[in-house]
Amino acid sequence: MILLVPSLVSVVDDDQSVRESLPDLLKVCGYNAEAFASAEEFLASDLLRETKCLIVDVAMPGMNGPDLQRELSRRRQAIPIVYVTAHRDETVRPRMLEQGAVECLFKPFSDTALLDAVMRALRAG
Amino acid sequence: MGPTHDHLTEEIKRLRRCMNDLVGVVGLAAVWTGRAPSQIVGILLDSLLGMLLLDVAYARVEGPDSKTAIEMVRVAQSRQPPTRASDIGDALANAFGGDPLRWPPSARIRLAGSDVSVATVRLGLRGDAGVVVAGTQRADFPDPIDTLLLRVAASQAAIGLQEARLLGEQRRLAHELDQRVAQRTTALAAANTELKREVTVRRRAEAALRASEHDARLIVDSIPAGVALLTPTGEVDDVNRQVLQYFGRPLDELKNWVASDIVHPEDVPNVVRRLTHSINSGEPYECEHRLRRHDGRYRWFQARGLPLRNADGGIVRWYILLTDIDERKRAQEALQRGEAFLAEAQRLSSTGSFSWRVSTDDITWSDELHRIFELDPPLTPARIRTRVHPEDVHAFDTTVDRARHTGDDFECRCRLLMPNHSIKHLHVVAHATRDREGQLEYIAAVQDVTESRVSEEALRDAQQQLARAARVTSLGVLTASIAHEINQPLSGIVTNAGTCLRMLAADPPDVDGARETARRTIRDGNRASEVVTRLRALFGRSGSTTEPVDLNDAAQEVIMLSSSELQRNRVVVRTELAAELPPVFGDRVQLQEVILNLCLNALDAMRSVDDRPRQLVVRTERDEGTGVRLTVQDAGVGLDPHAADALFQPFYTTKTGGMGIGLSVSRSIIENHRGRIWAASNDGPGASFSFSVPCAPQAVSRLGGPRIVHEREVTPRAAADAVHGGVSP
Repeated sequence: MILLVPSLVSVVDDDQSVRESLPDLLKVCGYNAEAFASAEEFLASDLLRETKCLIVDVAMPGMNGPDLQRELSRRRQAIPIVYVTAHRDETVRPRMLEQGAVECLFKPFSDTALLDAVMRALRAG
Repeated sequence: MGPTHDHLTEEIKRLRRCMNDLVGVVGLAAVWTGRAPSQIVGILLDSLLGMLLLDVAYARVEGPDSKTAIEMVRVAQSRQPPTRASDIGDALANAFGGDPLRWPPSARIRLAGSDVSVATVRLGLRGDAGVVVAGTQRADFPDPIDTLLLRVAASQAAIGLQEARLLGEQRRLAHELDQRVAQRTTALAAANTELKREVTVRRRAEAALRASEHDARLIVDSIPAGVALLTPTGEVDDVNRQVLQYFGRPLDELKNWVASDIVHPEDVPNVVRRLTHSINSGEPYECEHRLRRHDGRYRWFQARGLPLRNADGGIVRWYILLTDIDERKRAQEALQRGEAFLAEAQRLSSTGSFSWRVSTDDITWSDELHRIFELDPPLTPARIRTRVHPEDVHAFDTTVDRARHTGDDFECRCRLLMPNHSIKHLHVVAHATRDREGQLEYIAAVQDVTESRVSEEALRDAQQQLARAARVTSLGVLTASIAHEINQPLSGIVTNAGTCLRMLAADPPDVDGARETARRTIRDGNRASEVVTRLRALFGRSGSTTEPVDLNDAAQEVIMLSSSELQRNRVVVRTELAAELPPVFGDRVQLQEVILNLCLNALDAMRSVDDRPRQLVVRTERDEGTGVRLTVQDAGVGLDPHAADALFQPFYTTKTGGMGIGLSVSRSIIENHRGRIWAASNDGPGASFSFSVPCAPQAVSRLGGPRIVHEREVTPRAAADAVHGGVSP
């Protein structure tokens, strides 16, 4: 399926490596991508409304991933979410999925795993 | 019948005469009552001479004092020349012997040239009071009637004499009494005179006293000081004008000074004690105290009192002189405070000072300097030089020489070699001044910096140890940390590598993009390798040990080691450490890590506080039950009430960057110690973080009886929580 307008995927992570690498991967795969260093920055952005999929780190200073999810829910902004985290805690993933996330990936994740999750998210959206 | 009749008639006449004579004799008693013995004897002899028609009547009786005799004679008027009693007495003694009591009742003797019949009667109840001798030329003398009259008269006279003697005795006693009364009266009169004289003298003295008091009063009112007059018992009697003006109160109010605020309340006990002592002992009174002026301000006074004594030495009143010494006292206090402050400051800072007048080499040293050099006064440059470390002597001499010639300020460090071979480090700062004559004088401070040098080194060592210790956490925490720290760059590597491959596989290949992603891959690889290196450093000290830990000691160590960081941020630390705190059982380093973490969190919370003291309180206490509690209380921004629970939850962090050990790591450590950790808002500003851990088992059994301690397994979740909360990507 060829999309006339590439879907915007937003990345929210306080780690610079992720902010640099993920958008490039997504763009290579035909998506439009933007990176934000914090949840607050994303919430303040005009791109929030255009975002079709959100890749977000679970643990961040200030507002963390679940906080952001709650805030979006409060604003009735139903954006499908893919969580990523560097903490390999097996109890986190079921909890995140239960709370409505499309996927929860442990860093480091493969490009295919991520792209699969993004595709599922866009379908869900 | 004629002669018989005549004889009878004669006889009747004689008897009648005899009766008349008897009545007369008896009546003599009335005549001589109250008379003296000589008068009585005289009357007796006169009467006998008349009644018995005697030629001579002689008496010899005891005198009033029983030692002398009264000798008396009466002769008929026809007898010439008059006869002396002693001649008759001598003649009778010649005729009858010297003892009148042995003289015969009657006899016929030759007396004064004639033959006379004499009759002798003895006087007195026992016949020993004297003798009366009657003599007449009649041959028939004495007939029975004569004898009767003689005896009656004699007995009457004896009574009279006895009475006279008693009377004489009475008179003598009366006289004696009179004399004694007179003597006493004279004595009293003399005393009275003396008394009057004394009274006069005293009155004069009192008048003089009054005069002098009047003078004194004039003086008292005109001297430029307060004067109070007290009664001998210490009550205020009067005060001078100056006192009234100073207090601005009536005299009556001043009299009640003990119960009012006239004397500064703090000074009242001392004033009362000293005044009471003086009043009781009469010793001069002296006291320094504050008195309340009319405007309510207290000023210092020196009170000196002397007793005014009368001629007998008794205290009449007290004069109290009140001298205003407020300026002097305050100057004195300021000076003392200044001196004490300086001495204390010098002692606390181990800083001595000296002044050195270069031209004369006069040097004045502070006490602290003697302590630093451990030399008794006086200090001289030569004696000081003996203390200088041999390696520093040259520099010392050079410095002194240069100072002497240039007159410049100087600063130097030198070492002292003490007699016990210990070394002291001194820091000397000297400032050059010129005195009034323009002579060079140095004012210098000498600080003993030995201790700070030594403790600086110790501190550095300890801080290094703690820095290592602070990174030693439980194995679980470390594993999670390693994973997290490595997963971040690994994630970048994998993503970049995937992107790179996709860019190269594109048509046309995005070579520039691939090169950029490859560059980032290498960078993230290096970053991962750095993390490994850094994490390896965490193993510099081996893992946890379990031992009894005194939380007081542990906390104090942490406070000491972090004190420079706290001070740099103007945080004031107060400790409230419970005495006799039982030990807990655990890893000392881990527990210290928690305490340090709480302290540093408190510091962070107070970083923005500028309107109140940044006070940090570290408190230990027995917890309810069998635990020990440690609390770190700050005066910082405080807690969001809703966030208090979330603080220890995973994903909750307020800090960015680094390998910070957060609250959840602290919770993990405390839970591994079977304790708990919590936070609460203060009543005032700020928050309190506390943890409680059980006492060491032996301490528990000693303190609280048997208790079963369950080993609690650390779940992976707990470890993960610990990592999530505290470590930021």
